Formats: sequence, structure tokens, C-alpha cells
Amino acid sequence: MRKVAKVGLVLSGGGAKGAYQVGVVKGLVALGIEVDVIAGASIGALNGGVIACAGSLTQAAGRLEALWETLAEETPISVENPLGALSYLVLLSASGLKMKMALLLAQRAAQLAGIPFPVDNEISILSDKPLQRLLSAYLDVNALERGLPLHVSVFMSSGGFLDIAQIAVAEAGLLETPDSQFLHVQSLPLSEQKNALLASAALPLLYQPRKVNGKLYADGGQGGWSRAQGNTPITPLLHSGCDTVIVTHLSDGSLWSRYDYPHTTIIEIRPQTPIARDSGFLGGPKDLLGFDTRKIRSWIDQGYHDTLHSVGRIMNSLQAYSHLQAAEQARMNSEAQDADADAALSSAMSRLRSLEN
Amino acid sequence: MNYPAIPKDAEICRVLTCLHQKFIVDFANGIDVARDHQRVQRERSGFYARLRDGLSGKGARRQAEINAPLIDGVEASLHWLTELTESLAHSHLAIARVNERVNSIKQEMATLANYSFETRQGLQEVAQRLNNRCDKIEEEVARIDFVQRVQRNLSAVFARWEGGRFESLSPAGRCFAALEELRWGDFGDYCRIHTGQERQQFLQEATNRAIAQLKRDLQSTASERFGATLWLKPPAGESTLPNAAEALAYLAEEYPPQQNPFVFVSAHAVEQLPLHVPRIMSATRLSETLVEEVFTRDIYA
Repeated sequence: MRKVAKVGLVLSGGGAKGAYQVGVVKGLVALGIEVDVIAGASIGALNGGVIACAGSLTQAAGRLEALWETLAEETPISVENPLGALSYLVLLSASGLKMKMALLLAQRAAQLAGIPFPVDNEISILSDKPLQRLLSAYLDVNALERGLPLHVSVFMSSGGFLDIAQIAVAEAGLLETPDSQFLHVQSLPLSEQKNALLASAALPLLYQPRKVNGKLYADGGQGGWSRAQGNTPITPLLHSGCDTVIVTHLSDGSLWSRYDYPHTTIIEIRPQTPIARDSGFLGGPKDLLGFDTRKIRSWIDQGYHDTLHSVGRIMNSLQAYSHLQAAEQARMNSEAQDADADAALSSAMSRLRSLEN
Repeated sequence: MNYPAIPKDAEICRVLTCLHQKFIVDFANGIDVARDHQRVQRERSGFYARLRDGLSGKGARRQAEINAPLIDGVEASLHWLTELTESLAHSHLAIARVNERVNSIKQEMATLANYSFETRQGLQEVAQRLNNRCDKIEEEVARIDFVQRVQRNLSAVFARWEGGRFESLSPAGRCFAALEELRWGDFGDYCRIHTGQERQQFLQEATNRAIAQLKRDLQSTASERFGATLWLKPPAGESTLPNAAEALAYLAEEYPPQQNPFVFVSAHAVEQLPLHVPRIMSATRLSETLVEEVFTRDIYA
């Protein structure tokens, strides 16, 4: 695609399905597309961080692939709170789909087992230390400072349980969660930048919320739940002046709507085949936290092929349109010379005829 | 979201060239969006899923998300189709104009071809005339050259006779030898090729020069008659060339004696003259008859 516009890349959240975005980046590289600004939510923020600090999208694709290979080999999930079987049910709640039911089951099970269920904001089930290690390994803060502008989506946490409850209500279509906020990472102090990324990926209850600029933030995907306002952070890119935005989705049939942004050229990369690998009651959480080799590789492949399909289709159409316009212009230019050629021929023939007479 | 259609030639389209791109991107990408929603919608056909989607409003929203790109797609198709049709119309018009111009060029080409044909025809005629003229000039030059060579041949032969080169022969033998020299030279070639007045003139000149030389050799007049013995008697003495008589006979070998009696007696030492040969004759009679036998009889034909 001819780079005539400021191009933004939206990396939405979706846990382990973030591997799909590795394929997307590889696809964009294959199609020769560069981006100018990045915005990410949750796992998209972490991927965005790696992309932003890479020198180019090609380098970013390589680094992301290496990072996700590592994630496939050593899961970033480490259980910090010994809740045993309950932890799995809480993980289930993180999917957001069967949230309320899972939460109730978790609470009930805890009561029956005589185990106090965590209610404090500071308590989390999973340790984010593995994530921090990975970030240290793959995120060069100095390079990030000079890299592409990166915005991350964060949600002002009201405490893990309350956040979950808000999502449950929004999921039922009763009340919308408050909108997520967007932080421009490079505008934050260096010490806060990694925190902002971790905050954006801090799934409620699973990970500890993070303090950035003195405020407690959790997973940015929670805001504007029914519209996926926080999970698909296009707003900061529009404010940055992007007129073309590539949006990646990590869920089947995301209800985020391009029609909410009528003045922007949006290219959505949606899964063309189900992105969910597990089905059934526990399918969502399993996918969300499914950092295993088989799934990760399949998502990378899917993201790559979906990108080639979706963006390739658009590029072909644009190319055809561009060829049509070029051909029309060439025809007009050619016709503009007709008069001179006709006059020259006419003059020559007149001279010839004068000889005959 | 519906917006009023923007005409293709609107000023805003010239200012924001990306508008066309956006329309194509929305059109092409809308298919993928609708397909994603439609796939999920089909999967959520169970009772609880439908109930939940209905209560939460997700079902309606998803349907709206499916409908929007479809409607936009139809509108974009119409837009694109209109644009394509316009473009096609322009192209057809352009083809028509090209066709007109090609026809016009064909007509001019035909004029040029005719002109070229006539010019070439004229040039060929000129060339033909020129060739004919050249051929004629060439022929004339060749003829003049031939005549010159004949003249030189004539002069050279009679100069040799006058210079005494034939003194080993009888007077009649000298005359025959001189005429034979002419027959084997350019003079003879000319007489073989040509007929007509000029040939006759040459033969007459040869006759005259032979008469003149015989007059000088015999110190007589052209009409003064002498006996055959004088004409046919070879000179005697040491200065005569040996074998001269044999050479002369050899030259006359191809002349049948009956048709060429003068040649026969001039070239052979005969004791008895044939009946056709007069016993006395003048230089004129000898020369004319020898010229006739050498150049005009059948042998020469």
C-alpha cells in the first residue's frame, strides 16, 4: 500500500490469543505496510511495547515471534495465592463471558470450603513476576523512548471484585462500564512506563492492579465493555491524527463497530475462522490463558493468513481502482495530443494535394 | 451510519483524495466484518444463547453490524458501478474517437498510397525511357566502335599489302589473302552481323582499295585486262616466303571450287583454268568477283 496517510495500529486485548497479533505483524511486513502509531490494550499493550521499541515492523515481527516462543515454553502464569481448585474458577471469571456465574460459583465454593475469598484490591491470584521478567528481556525502555508512539488502554480500578461486577452488569446489557483511559507511554516517566504496560494487562483479580501517576489501573479491556471501547483503543490514534487505522480483534464477532468512527479509514483484521480453540463452559478462560505451543503457533498462523486475506483484498481493490484512475488519466493525456497530430497530418496532406493539382 | 452520497466530481473529492480510498476500504473490509458477525450469529443459535443475546441486546447489535456493511456494500457497489460505467462510457467514446481517427488516417493513407503508386509508376516510365535511351546510346557507341575497328582493320590489312607483306603471292593471291585477312578480322565480323547500306559501303571500300592496290602492283589502270597467267603467277626469287602457296591453299580450303572459282584459282596453282574463270581480266573484275565470293557467297552465310 502506498504510504500516504498516517497509519495507526490497534492491538486489542485477549490474553494468549495475543499470539494472533504476531501473525498480523508478520502479515503487515509481508505486505510492505509500516505503521506510525500504536495503541494496545492488555496483551495488545505488551505486544505494542515490543513493536514500538523495535527499529522497524520487520524487526518487531522477529522479536514478537521470539517472545511468543518463550511464552509457549515457559507460561507467564504463576499462581501466587494458594486457592487451589478455586483459582481455576476465578480464571474462568476472567473470560468475561461466564463471569457472573463463575464468580458466584467461586464465592460459594470458597464459603463451603471455609476459605476466605479475596476481597482486597491488593490481592491477586497470579503473580506478574514472569510477565515482568519477559518485559525486561524484550522491552528496551530506552529504545521505547525513541520508538513509535505507544498508547495503552488502562481502566481505573475500583477493586478486583467491583470491576468484575461492573463487567457482569455490562455483559448483561444493563449498565455500561466506565470508559477506559489511554496513556501515552512515552509521556510517562521512565520508571512508570513498564508499570503502565503491566497495568493495561492486569486482568482483574488475576493480576494486581498497578499504580501509574498515583492512580490504580487495571486491565484496559474492561472500559466501555459492550462497545469494546477500552479493549479496542482506537481513540488515542484518532487524537494523534491517524487517518488510516488497522484494527486487530482477538475475539470472534467483536461488537466493536467501525461505524462509530465514520471519518477514519479503518481496516479491521478479524478472525476469518473461529479464533477460539476450546469450546464449552471453560473454553473462554482456557483460550485466555492458553499459553501453550500448539495454540500459540496456530494463532500466529491464523493472524498471518487473516491479514494477508483482509488487507490483501483491500490492497487489490485499491490497486485496481488506482489502475483505473491512472488509465483514465493516461487516456486523457493521450487525447490531449490528438489535435496537434491531426493538424500536422492535415497540413501534410494539404501540401500533397496541392502538388496533385 | 448513513451519509448523503458525495458526487464523484465534488470539490471535496479533489481536496480529500483519501475519500475514494476510504470508500473502497469500507467496501472491501465490510465483507470480512459481516462474515465474522454472521459466523458468530450462526453459532449462537441455541436457546440460551439466543435468550441471552436477546436480553443483553447483543443479538440486535450484531444484526445491525451485519446489516450496515451489507447496505454500505450495496451502496458502494452502486457507486463503483456508476463510476465504472462512466469510465467505460468514456473509454467507449475514446475508442469511437480512435476509430474515427483511424478511418481518417486510413483514407489519408489510401491517398498517400495512390500518390506513391503514381509516383512510382512515373518513375518506372522515366527509368524505362532512360534505359532505352541508354541502350540506344550504348548500341550506337558499340556500333561506332565497331565501325572504327572495321576501318582500322581495313586500313591495317591494305597497309600491310601496300607495305609489301604479301609479295610472296601472285596478284590474285594477294587480293585473296587481303580479303581473307579482312574476313577473319573485325571487317568480317561486321559483315557477318550486319546487312544493309553500311555493310555494302564497307565491301565497296574493300573492293576499291583492292583495285587500287592491284593497279599499283601491276602499274596499270583499273580496267586494263591482263592474261590469267599474270594474275595467277606467283613471284619467283629468294625473297619469297616458303610455304606461302600452301598457306594460301589452306585458307581457301573451305571454299568449294565450283561456287568460288576465282578463290580457287587465286589460292591454288592450277594448270587448267576452270571454265567459269575468264582467261583475261581487269583488276576491277578480279577484285569485285573475289569480294563477292569471299563475303557474299553461301560459305559466308
